[in-house]
Amino acid sequence: MTRVFARSLSRKKIMSNDGKLIGTLKNIRVDFDSGQVVELIVHPDQTFVTEGYNMEDDKLLVIPFEAVKDIKDYIVVDRYLARK
Amino acid sequence: MQTQITELFGLLIYTEKGMFVGEVEDVVIDVDNKKMDAIVVGKVNDQLVDLKNFKGLKIPYRIISAIDDIVLIRHLPGAFSQSAPME
Repeated sequence: MTRVFARSLSRKKIMSNDGKLIGTLKNIRVDFDSGQVVELIVHPDQTFVTEGYNMEDDKLLVIPFEAVKDIKDYIVVDRYLARK
Repeated sequence: MQTQITELFGLLIYTEKGMFVGEVEDVVIDVDNKKMDAIVVGKVNDQLVDLKNFKGLKIPYRIISAIDDIVLIRHLPGAFSQSAPME
């Protein structure tokens, strides 16, 4: 069971499960009523092609938290679930 | 209500009886269940909770009743050293 401190996640790198660097974490969106963590807001890496992903203001990448596989040194997300 | 988690940091925490508990320092996320697990309390009101021999105070998410301008938690009798009636 993985439990992490939210502050320890700031600026952590996001990696897809095929080993591609996606970007760095900017923020986390949560639902206060259910306590559910909804999505990650990510600063995409310059080398990352954001086509096919949910974008916010054309600058920030939005990844549903369902796609998160695990969080240790990197945040690993499923490359299919991360798309819209 | 959906908000970014950084909005939580620094919010003041009170019990439903109006007692000041502290302020939100951090949030513990349960990655497997995709839920917030607890909030970490900073600037703990030491009249309410005696932190001697403890590293810090964590409040489980389930006893939080509301979050907006402040965080409101359920008042648990016996959980706080001064929660017994004063008379």
